[in-house]
Amino acid sequence: MSDFVQAAQITEAKQALDRLRANMRVSIKGKDDVIEQVIICLLGGGHLLIEDLPGVGKTTLAYALARSMDCAFSRIQFTSDLLPSDVTGVAIYDETIKEFVFKKGPVFANVVLADEINRATPKTQSALLEVMDRSRVTVDGEAHAVGAPFMVFATQNPVDYEGTFPLPESQMDRFLMRLQMGYPQPVDELEILRAAKLAYDGIVLNPVVTRGDILKLQALAQQVFIEDSVLDYILRIVTATRTESEFRAGASVRGGLALKVAAQARALASARDFVIPEDVAELVRPVLAHRLGLARQTSDAMEERRTVAMILKRILAAIPAPV
Amino acid sequence: MERGRPQLNLDELHQLKWLLGGVLALSSVWTVFYVDVDALTLLLATTLAVGAVLWRPGLPDLIPGWVHAMAFPVIVVVFGADLWLGGQTLPAMIRLDLMLILYRGISYRQRRDDLQLIVLGLFLVVVTGVLTVSFAFALQILAFTACALALLLVITLVDAAEAQDPPVKTPLFTWGITVPRPAWTHHSDWPGFFRRVLRTVDWRLAGLWALLFAGVVGVSALLFVAIPRFQLENSLFLERFISRKARSGFTENVRFGDVTDIIGDNALALSVDISNPAEVPGTVYLRMVVLDEYRDGGFKLSARLRRDAFEGEQARFKVYGTQPPRRGERVLWTFYFEPGISRFLPVPGSFEILQFRDLQTVSTSPLLRLVALRNEPATMTAYLMDRVVTSGVLNDPAFAQVHAAAPRAADGRPLEPDRVQMGLTVGDADRRALAAAVTTFAGAGAGPGRLSASDFAGKAAAWLAERHTYSLQSELPAGGGDGLVRWIGGSTPGHCELFAGSFVLLARAAGYPARLISGFRGGSWNAFTGNLTVRNNDAHAWCEIWDAATASWIRVDPTPGSQAVATGDEAQGGAALARRTDSSWSARLDSFRILWYRRIVNFDQRTQVDAVRSVRDATRASGQRLQATFDRTAKALKDWLTSPWDVPRVLRTVAALVALAGLAWGGRVLAGRWRWRRGGLETRGRPDPVRMEAGRWLARLRDNPDGETSLSVHELERLRYGPRASWPEPRAVFQRARLAWKDARRRGRVGR
Repeated sequence: MSDFVQAAQITEAKQALDRLRANMRVSIKGKDDVIEQVIICLLGGGHLLIEDLPGVGKTTLAYALARSMDCAFSRIQFTSDLLPSDVTGVAIYDETIKEFVFKKGPVFANVVLADEINRATPKTQSALLEVMDRSRVTVDGEAHAVGAPFMVFATQNPVDYEGTFPLPESQMDRFLMRLQMGYPQPVDELEILRAAKLAYDGIVLNPVVTRGDILKLQALAQQVFIEDSVLDYILRIVTATRTESEFRAGASVRGGLALKVAAQARALASARDFVIPEDVAELVRPVLAHRLGLARQTSDAMEERRTVAMILKRILAAIPAPV
Repeated sequence: MERGRPQLNLDELHQLKWLLGGVLALSSVWTVFYVDVDALTLLLATTLAVGAVLWRPGLPDLIPGWVHAMAFPVIVVVFGADLWLGGQTLPAMIRLDLMLILYRGISYRQRRDDLQLIVLGLFLVVVTGVLTVSFAFALQILAFTACALALLLVITLVDAAEAQDPPVKTPLFTWGITVPRPAWTHHSDWPGFFRRVLRTVDWRLAGLWALLFAGVVGVSALLFVAIPRFQLENSLFLERFISRKARSGFTENVRFGDVTDIIGDNALALSVDISNPAEVPGTVYLRMVVLDEYRDGGFKLSARLRRDAFEGEQARFKVYGTQPPRRGERVLWTFYFEPGISRFLPVPGSFEILQFRDLQTVSTSPLLRLVALRNEPATMTAYLMDRVVTSGVLNDPAFAQVHAAAPRAADGRPLEPDRVQMGLTVGDADRRALAAAVTTFAGAGAGPGRLSASDFAGKAAAWLAERHTYSLQSELPAGGGDGLVRWIGGSTPGHCELFAGSFVLLARAAGYPARLISGFRGGSWNAFTGNLTVRNNDAHAWCEIWDAATASWIRVDPTPGSQAVATGDEAQGGAALARRTDSSWSARLDSFRILWYRRIVNFDQRTQVDAVRSVRDATRASGQRLQATFDRTAKALKDWLTSPWDVPRVLRTVAALVALAGLAWGGRVLAGRWRWRRGGLETRGRPDPVRMEAGRWLARLRDNPDGETSLSVHELERLRYGPRASWPEPRAVFQRARLAWKDARRRGRVGR
């Protein structure tokens, strides 16, 4: 029985997550679905890529999450002259102790907002690879663990491509999910206008869950049960992306694992200790879409995203969910 | 969508389509080989061109645009000219079809072009198939159909794959419009492609497809058995002009080298089923044509003999021969005579009855033992001969009368040699040369009065064999006079016609009537089917010399290596057959052909009815057996029931019934418990029954999330997808689900 999640643990998790949701909703209006996805990503221990136009609340979302869970938050504004050491930190010579001392960079936090990540050079972008994968930074052969939990919130503007460096596939594969914020509903936007707070620094949120809670929830998510037919369902979806002639390449093994982890996290977020096919189906697009590119060239990035989403929808429709 | 199995991408599908289209084009154009249409150049050009573009798919890109623009008008003009100059519609259409296939085969094809290719190929296959009705056709149409089905499947797959990204539409009329070079041709790697196809092919699906195809073929075969027979060539508009032309070796007019020309061909000429193989003589001579007139360096059937010996043409099923009916075992010879050889049928000797499969218009000569069809058959001719006597000595009372009545000179020689079919139309010098030759081996004044025909034949044949060796490559020596007489005088090697012709001249010079026979000699015994197989290279020429003493024609084969003079008693028996037995691969191939003939082509109405009748009888017998078994059981049960019931018997019966019921119930409970306990995902390959049942209820209740139903759905989800350790009691959940479902149905919330 120890392999499975106890009912009490589920109840406890549900309470913690309810608190988190409610707290985030205070500052993020009318975006419950996005909040839900962020929580799923958090529970899955993954990183998030948010693509949208500037000024729709990407930074606020990251900030609200960080504040709600009593975690260290840092923000890195990516620019073309940003150096890897500006992200990871640098070893500088300390005269007093006569040796090099590692000075931690902004990546040493629990929630790192990598704003406009595609503005940095590939060299700087790839500085994030190790830290995103292993939650640690190696400088001068010495590994330094970053915070736990550790979550990168990267944002990029899909429309304005002037002077940007598109993220390579290996980098994209490291993000558990990609989300779009979208404009809020008029009712919600009116409320945002009423609040009249411009900077996210002004957001005052009390932490409702501790870092320890989050780590426990992440461990719990990994114990969520997946029945074999659901695993088979995941496999068939991933395989279908590989045999689809329109895609340049199918989803990687990491992509399949990501879909599994995200489905477990969604089950936990829904207060379930087992995954249902709906968990998988709902997450196919946010988890897999950014890992897939079209075989043919498209002039418009948004067009490519729409086509990929459409093909994924078609694949999902073609594969019967296990009943 | 199979787990883990890769699938061909669009480029590979296009490549497969290209390959199948090429193979289809090649397989259909080669059917033309079986008919006698002057299209060998086109055939070879198409084969080479299509083969080349299959090998290098980039080649069509080298064809300049103007070729595409000009192709259609040029083909139309060529076809028109062909029709006008040749005057024959069908051959012109076949050549047109070949040209179209050539063009389609070497240009990049879109969907419509592939379909055109299938239709063009189908035309060729069907036309040639109907014209030849051969075993090769049956194989070819099978291969073609399989190829065409595969191509259609690939076209459908390509269509489905392109549905999301349709290619630029082309107008309906695509001639002259260059289809751009497809991307896959830039990196086509056939070995890699085949490896990938092997990896991606779903063998189960392929097996199913093959099964379906075999089923279709089987149903077609059943239909073939079920429909009444009819003669294709009589029923269709297609004429026989297109079948292979007869070689002149087996006609009424043979020139030297004609028979030898046939020997160069190794194709099957005829197959003979013999009911008692022991009856087959050591060397079978199948006579086809008797040639009595020597004129202008060649032998022919004289007009006189044709008039005197042949009966008029008649449409008949049966021909009666000279052999009287005899008692004892019947020996049936069934002949399957290939088309395109001769209108004269091979006949092994005297016979009582010759029976055709179909009504035939024939002229027969009982005395010459010859049977000739009106036309050279366009399809295989099957005929059956009863009471065949394969003797080398043929009695001929009619000729005996003519021969005896002919006015003679003092030395016994007939005054009018032509009347007795022994004309010697050579110059005086040649006559002298022949006489000198006769004197050399038979002594001075040799003739019918002094030397018996068989003795003369033996000496003549021995003398010829002494002076000449056998060779297929032979020429008549140059010089004046008759060529054959020059050959007799010289020592150059020669073929069977020269030996036979020389013998006839020598015999006639000595005063013996003699004639030349052409036909087949020998053949091999097919070890696989047990029949005599005669090939074109068994074609042979020999002679018959008149023996006045016995009033019969004696077969003489002067070619070296043969038994020169036939006697009345031919060596027969299995030992002779065993010597000729052929177990080679070509015999094995022929055996399929024989099978086809025996089972399919020669399948006449009577055997068809017999087959249907035997199926019916077998069915009826099975039904009767079943009925009898049922009756027996019913009677036993009735007896058991009606026998007196005393108390111990009743008790025994009740106890037995209770024990049986108990066993059944116990087994069910045990099986159920075992299944519940087993639990995991699958029980012997099947999903867990609890999960399956939960899945079924979920499908019914999922869309009704309220109250009791919602609870049921959650529990059902747990049963279906949740860890087994956390399951609620399944039966209780299913019970609740059933109630909830009934409730929802009552409220009209869910359907059935």
